[in-house]
Amino acid sequence: MAFVSIEARAALLLLATAVAPTALAQDERPATPEHVVGQEKYPFDTVDPREEEEPIELPDSVAPKLALLTREQIEFLKSGDARAFTGPAEKAVEALEKRTPEEVKAWVEAMQQVVTERRYAEGRDLPNIPFNTESPYFNRWRLQRPRSMDPKREPGPFALGRYDGRGGPPTFGGFPLALTKEDLVAGKVDVAILGAPLNMGSGWRDSGERATVELRKRSVSWAMGAHNQYVQIDASKVLNVVDYGDVAVDNASTERSMRHVRDIVREIAETGAVPMILGGDHSLEYPNVAALADVYGKEKVSVIHFDSHYDAWWGGSHLISHGYPVYRLINEGHVRAADYIQVGLRSAGPDKSGFNWMREKGMRYHTMAEIERRGWDAVLDRVVAEASEEGRKLHISFDIDVIDPAFTVATGTPVPGGLSMREAITIVRRLCAESNVVGFDLVEFHPALDPTYTTSLNCAHIVNACLTGLAMDKEGLTEKHYLSPLSSEHALDDYYRDRQHYLDATKAEEEKKKEKKKK
Amino acid sequence: MISRRFVTLGAPLTLCSAWLLLSVESALGQWSIPGELQAQASVLTREQLEFITSGAILEFIPERQLEHELATRDADSLRSFMNDLMSLADRIRYDPEQDLGAAPLNLTSKSFNTGMPTPAPLRDFEREPGPFSVHRYLFPKSGVPTFGGAPVAIWPEDLVAGNVDVAIVGVPSNMSSGRRDAVNGPDEMRGLNTIAVPDVQTLVKPFETLSVVDYGDFAVDRMSTERTVSHVTAMVAETAGTGAIPMLVGGDTSMLYPAVSGVARVHGKGSFGLLHFSAHPDAERHGDHTVSDRQALFLLLDEGIVEGSETVQVGLRGPAVDADTLQWLRDKNVRYHTMAEFRERGSESVMDRVRQEVESGPGAYFVSIDVSVVKPAEMVAAGRATYDGLRLEEVTQAIRHVCAAKEIVGFEITDVAPMLDYSRLSVMHANALLNACLVGIAVRNEGLDPDYVHPLALDHGQR
Repeated sequence: MAFVSIEARAALLLLATAVAPTALAQDERPATPEHVVGQEKYPFDTVDPREEEEPIELPDSVAPKLALLTREQIEFLKSGDARAFTGPAEKAVEALEKRTPEEVKAWVEAMQQVVTERRYAEGRDLPNIPFNTESPYFNRWRLQRPRSMDPKREPGPFALGRYDGRGGPPTFGGFPLALTKEDLVAGKVDVAILGAPLNMGSGWRDSGERATVELRKRSVSWAMGAHNQYVQIDASKVLNVVDYGDVAVDNASTERSMRHVRDIVREIAETGAVPMILGGDHSLEYPNVAALADVYGKEKVSVIHFDSHYDAWWGGSHLISHGYPVYRLINEGHVRAADYIQVGLRSAGPDKSGFNWMREKGMRYHTMAEIERRGWDAVLDRVVAEASEEGRKLHISFDIDVIDPAFTVATGTPVPGGLSMREAITIVRRLCAESNVVGFDLVEFHPALDPTYTTSLNCAHIVNACLTGLAMDKEGLTEKHYLSPLSSEHALDDYYRDRQHYLDATKAEEEKKKEKKKK
Repeated sequence: MISRRFVTLGAPLTLCSAWLLLSVESALGQWSIPGELQAQASVLTREQLEFITSGAILEFIPERQLEHELATRDADSLRSFMNDLMSLADRIRYDPEQDLGAAPLNLTSKSFNTGMPTPAPLRDFEREPGPFSVHRYLFPKSGVPTFGGAPVAIWPEDLVAGNVDVAIVGVPSNMSSGRRDAVNGPDEMRGLNTIAVPDVQTLVKPFETLSVVDYGDFAVDRMSTERTVSHVTAMVAETAGTGAIPMLVGGDTSMLYPAVSGVARVHGKGSFGLLHFSAHPDAERHGDHTVSDRQALFLLLDEGIVEGSETVQVGLRGPAVDADTLQWLRDKNVRYHTMAEFRERGSESVMDRVRQEVESGPGAYFVSIDVSVVKPAEMVAAGRATYDGLRLEEVTQAIRHVCAAKEIVGFEITDVAPMLDYSRLSVMHANALLNACLVGIAVRNEGLDPDYVHPLALDHGQR
C-alpha cells in the first residue's frame, strides 16, 4: 500500500464513500453540524440564493451567430451562469457580433466546460478533506490534561505569582487563572477570558499562538483590568474575571477546530459566566455564538458584529472561513438574521445583492456611509438602542479591523476609514453596560505587524471597555451613556448650564463634611 | 486537455494503511517496574499494570515522573491516576462515532474547484506563443515586478516556443506550521530585483546563458493544503514536461511534496536524488493530517517518489529532530547532516561530504531549500526559524556547486515569511539562494567546471 499512487488512493477512497451509508435522512438531521462525525456530509442546505443571476434576452440580430448552437447551449448563453464570461447583455451582443458561428460555438463550449468543471462532480472530486484517521495521535491536539497529573488543589481561580498574586507568568489582565468548569463555578466567575489562536484568515496570517501570548504580555495587558477613568469603576474589583487559558485549535483545519472551540465556550457559558474570546481569526464568531445558542436556546441570542466586512459570504468550496461565520450561523438557525446588527462596514463588498439580502432578512446594518451621512453620535445612539431592546441577549463580535488601521494596523485585512479608538471604546463600554451582554469576542489581531505594540495595547483597551461596561451593569449604572459626573467635568462653575443640580449637591456634601469636622 | 490539468483535489491525501503498521506502542517499547517500586505497583489491576509495562503510558508521562508517582501516591490515588491516563489512551485515537474524520465541503458551490486555467476560447487576446516582456523599455529600471526581471510566460506553449530553460513560478500557499506569511514570498522576491545579478565567483550572468521566464503563480486553496496538492502536482508536471526546469518559489514547505511528485511524473519515480536544505526533517510519520510541511519528506519517501539512499538532508536541528526521527531517517538510508555534525566536524568537511554524496548519487537532482536552514541572523523571516544554522554563503556555495555539477530536474525555495523582516534582508538572501542555482545551471550550460572561479575575480594580477 505504501507505494500506491495518489490516484489509486483517491479511487479507493471514492469507492469507499460510494459504498458507505450516505448522509442522514432529512428528519434525522442532527441539531448542529458539529455532530457530523466520520465522513458524514454537511446536513444543511448550502445553496446561496444570492448567487442566482437573472437570464438575459438576446436580440434577433445575433440569431445567425447562434446557428451552430444547440437549444441547450443557447439557453446557457442567456443564463446567469454565462454572465461571468460575457459580461452584461450589451457586451454579450458585442462579443457575438465579432465572432463567426464556429467561434461562437467554441466560445460557448469553453464556458460550459469551465462552469461544469468548477462544480463538484461525484466520482471525480473528493467530497471532503479527509484526515489521517489512522493516526495514533488523532486527538492529541485537544486532549485535556487529567487534573490528577498535578498536585491537588481546591477548585477555584488561582494566582500565579508570589507578590499578592502578581509576578508570575503573564495572564490576560493579570487576572487569576482557571482551567476547569469547577474552577469557574467555585470562583463565582463573572467573565472568563479565553485565548483562541486560530490562524486561518485570508489576509496576513499571524493570529496564532503569538497573538494570544502578545495579548497577555504585561506591558499591554495591564490595561484590560485597569481602573476606568470615564466612569470611575475598577472592573477587576467589581467582577470576578479569570484567564481561562487558550482553547486548542488545529491550524491546518478551521472546520476541525470549530467543534472544540464551541465545547469550551459552551462550558464557560453554562456556568453563567460571560465568555470573552480573544483570537484568532473571525471564523471564531461561529463556534462562539453557536455555543451561546446551545446554552440560551436557538434564536435567543442577538449578535452585534463590528467589522469592516460583513462576513456573510458563502458559496465557495469551504463551509467555514473568516468570511463565512455570519452566513453559517444564520443558515444553521442559531441566530435569526433579524437579530443581527452590523456596525462599521466599509470593505469593497458586499454589492447590491448582499445589501438587498440583508434588508430582506431584516438584518440591521450600520455602514461607515451611514456614519458619514448622520454623524457618529446619532449612529451610536441608534445602535445602542437597537442592541438594548427588551429581552435581547447580546453577543458582541468585535473584529479589530472595524477600527481605523491607524490605530490597529496589526490585523489581517485592514480597511482604511474606520472607527477611531475614541469611538470604539465608547460604543463597547456603552453596549456592555446598557444591553444584556452574554458573550464577547475580539478577533483578527496579528502581532507580527505590531512592532510598536500599539495594536495590542488598543486591543487591551477594547477589552477594558467591555469589562468596565459589565461592571457598570453589575453596579446598576445602566442609564443611557453614563459617565462619572466627577471625572467628566470639574463643575466648579455651571459653564455648560446643565450642572446646577450637581453643583448644589456637591456643595451640600462639602458643607456636611465641614460640619462633621467641627464637631 | 483541461480536464487532465484539472485534477481531482485532495487525491493524495487518503491514507496509506502502511501508517497503521507503524504502531506506536511497538516504537516505544516495554517498561519494567523497578524492583523497589514493585510493592507500590501491586495495588494496580492487571490492565493497569499492562498499560505500564507495555510502555504505552510513556506516551503521556516521562519515566522519571512515572517512578515519582508510583513512589509517592497511595493506593486509591494511584489507581484513579492510572484510570485517568488510560482514558487518555482511549481518547487520543480516532473514533468514527465521535470525531470528524473528514471536513465536509460545500458540494453545491459554483466554484468548488478553483485554480482552473482559462480555456483558449475564453482568453482575452491572441498572441503568438512565447515569453514576452512586461516592459515598455529595453533596459527598464522598474515596472511590473517579475522574478529577476524575466519575461513572462503563461502557457506551456510559451515555454516550448521560447525554448525555455528555467521557469520560475510562485506557489503562494500559506499553511506553515510555524509563522505564516509565505503567501507573500513570491511577490516579495519578485519585488526585490536581486535575482540574475552576475555572480562574483564565476562572473557568469545567468540570464545571458539561460532562457528564464517568470511563469506566474500556481493556484492554491488558502484553506486547505490537501486541496492544493493535486493542482500544483499537475502543473509542475506540465511545466517539467515542456523540458523547462521548474523553479518553485513558495509558499510553505508542504509544497515540497507536490513539487517533487510533479517532477517525478515526468522523469520517473526514483530517477533523481533530492538535496534538501532545511532545519526540519519534515518526516512526521503519524500526523493527524494527510499532508503538511512537517510530513512532506515522509510522504515522498513513503510513496517511493525519491529513494532514501538518494536523499541528502543538510542543516537539521530544532524541535522535530529527536532520536526517533533520526533513527527512522537512518533506517531509510537518508544521508542526513545535523548541525551537531557541522559543529563537530567543521563546516567545510561536512559540505565536502555532501558534495561527495551528491557526486556518487544519481545523475539528476531536485534541490530544495527551506530557508530555515540559514541561521536566523541572516534569515529572520523564516516561517520556522530555529537558532543556530548555516551561514548564507555556505548554503549558496553548496547550491551553486550542485546545480553546476548535476542535471537539475527541479528547484524549490520555501517558507520565506517576509512580514517578519521589516528590512527585507531575508528576501534579498532568499533571492541569493535561488540565484545560486541559476548561476550553477548556467555554469554547467557553459561547460565550465562546477567550482570554476574566473581568474579576473580571483586576482587583480598586478605585480
